[in-house]
Amino acid sequence: MSGNGLTGFLFLAPFLVLFVVVFLIPIIVSIRSALFAQVASGGGLYGGGELVDQFVGLDNLVAAATNGAFWKGMGRVTLFGLIQVPLMIGSGLFLALLLDSFIVRRVAFFRLAFFLPYAVPGVIAAMMWAYLYTPRLSPFLEYLPDGTNLMAPNVIILSMANMTTWTFTGYNMLIFLAALQAIPRELYEAASMDGATGFQIATRIKIPLVRGAALLAILLSIIGTVQLFNEPVIMQTVNQWMGNDYTPMMLAYNSLMGQVTPSGSGPASAVSLLMAVIAGALAAIYAFAQRQKGE
Amino acid sequence: MRRFARSKMATACAVLGSGALLLTGCGSGAGSDGEAVTLSYLHRLPDGEGMTPVSEIVAKWNESHPEIQVEATKFDGDASEMALKLETDVNAGTGPCLAQVGYGEVPDLYVKGLLQDVRSEADRYKDNYSEGAYSLMNVGNTVVGLPQDTGPLVYYYNEAAFDQLGVEVPTTIDELSEIAAKAAAQDRYAVAFTPDEAQYWLSGQAAAAGDNWFTANGEEWLVDTGGAGTEVVASFWQELIDDEEALVQDRWGDEFTQALTDGSLIGHIGAAWEAGFLLDPLDGTEAEGQWRVAQLPAFGESATTGPDGGSGVAVMKDCEYAEEAMAFNDWFNTQVDDLATQGLVVAATGAPETPEKMTRQFGGQDVFEEMNVANAALSPDFVYVPGFAALSAMNTTASEAGEGSVPVAEIFETAQTTSVEALDNLGIAVADN
Repeated sequence: MSGNGLTGFLFLAPFLVLFVVVFLIPIIVSIRSALFAQVASGGGLYGGGELVDQFVGLDNLVAAATNGAFWKGMGRVTLFGLIQVPLMIGSGLFLALLLDSFIVRRVAFFRLAFFLPYAVPGVIAAMMWAYLYTPRLSPFLEYLPDGTNLMAPNVIILSMANMTTWTFTGYNMLIFLAALQAIPRELYEAASMDGATGFQIATRIKIPLVRGAALLAILLSIIGTVQLFNEPVIMQTVNQWMGNDYTPMMLAYNSLMGQVTPSGSGPASAVSLLMAVIAGALAAIYAFAQRQKGE
Repeated sequence: MRRFARSKMATACAVLGSGALLLTGCGSGAGSDGEAVTLSYLHRLPDGEGMTPVSEIVAKWNESHPEIQVEATKFDGDASEMALKLETDVNAGTGPCLAQVGYGEVPDLYVKGLLQDVRSEADRYKDNYSEGAYSLMNVGNTVVGLPQDTGPLVYYYNEAAFDQLGVEVPTTIDELSEIAAKAAAQDRYAVAFTPDEAQYWLSGQAAAAGDNWFTANGEEWLVDTGGAGTEVVASFWQELIDDEEALVQDRWGDEFTQALTDGSLIGHIGAAWEAGFLLDPLDGTEAEGQWRVAQLPAFGESATTGPDGGSGVAVMKDCEYAEEAMAFNDWFNTQVDDLATQGLVVAATGAPETPEKMTRQFGGQDVFEEMNVANAALSPDFVYVPGFAALSAMNTTASEAGEGSVPVAEIFETAQTTSVEALDNLGIAVADN
């Protein structure tokens, strides 16, 4: 190896090592594990006290793909995403435009304030909201119409969407704000000399120019939605009717924990892989559609 | 961007495996040449304020047993996470020598090849423990460790409120139903139906009513969660729910505590270990010292109670020093007074001194004397099956039953189908009913 090549490799090494250890190996391990089932080999009431890894080919994946609970969970997160993602991206963009305009003073303060919910750990935030939603404990529920139950089966998705929106709107706002600040100021100057109003600058110049950022924010949100976990897990601790398989991520986690059947690392990995494939496909379809539209 | 936040749990799971590296392996010392043997012990006792910490109890042992040193580590997390950690560690050859395991998890961990047969050692210590608890550390003819604490179902009630209603402590569920009706007429509840505890709580009641859900039929399991006793349990709760005479609330929700503190809940069927903290919210209120504990009202003809939780200390598969480990195991689990400070209803025989806190909260009652009676009345026949963890599906159905959308009996149908599925999934034979 030439000196240059070695130097180059050394620069690459930290990335490569981390990439292999935290990315490649876990993926390979979970693919391998999805192909095996853990079954008792010894017969009898306690299977001889020994589990063996049995190669089952695609059985785990087929079981996951034909599991009604998985698709019900997928349906729930899809519904959640359809409501929540546009709401969150829209508000994030709106806040970013406000902060980027000349309407607001003390931009740094508002930027931090809007971003702050994201700094609250997800589980803590979910617990806080669960408390706010609980009848008899909630400080605001008594002011809502009688019989309002924010954790009823038909509204809990909206309640969770509210939690997620609260947490991540500020984060998405930052993505948009960064993109907005990269736009050359001369464009605004030229536009206003041509007689454009502030509103027109926002809709005709700023929004079209942050489309790249919007694509990124939406892709990340789609993936995040498929993996919805913190909010439903915390809500489930106070709403047992939600079950251990309310979202696909909960199904995967509880399969591993032995709380749902079929359990074990095989079925759990299969569910995870299926989720990854679906999230990847959704993200690819969205990115492709956007590109088509752009051309 | 939610991806990072949500993947924290996944990271935690991955770390769980690597965290194993931090634990010393089992028996790093060499026993044969006279050097000290070192045993690792993983527990999840609370070690809370005012309790004698496990480390302190273990230090006493270490001082008097220089040849068998024990390193105790506390696991912070829930039981199912600890079971997964044990599975990962033992398979990686870094498992501890001794570990705290829930009775419901014992068959499952044994099937997974994580536990050792220590029958020959255990037999020596058998007489130190209540029969029902000892049997819960058995897997067929194998004994995997010693019991630590038990959770016989008992009945907690507010004596002052009962006096006001003019009722006596119930001894049968029929009497309890009558009391519940009287209490409901005054907007109070003498029982609570707690869906989030359904799995162990209702299976314990079925055991109290004389049923064994899981029996051996030769080399196959016979699963029957629809026996006569279980039917009694189902109809008892069905009537209470239909007549709105039971408080329907999750046990671990804030609303349960709210009902306790506002005085609307005046009775509760719960596990013995709840005595350690059930009444904490009442400290400093008028109701402090008004509650008492009594035996579970009889669900059947005999005054049997059923198991609701509790755990033992098992010897893990790769432990090289089973004899030494069991000597410590027995010593530790017979430190009844120290263990009682952890809020445990110890499985070892002999009632420990009731801690000052409980005496105060239970108006001077000798709580552990009462628990000892419950311990002795624990059904020795009820066993759990491998894969019992999956029966948490009962909680979901119980929640629906609590709302009245399905009958209570359906909870037990869920138990039936889930246990059969879980056993099938593990490759263990189930007999057709």
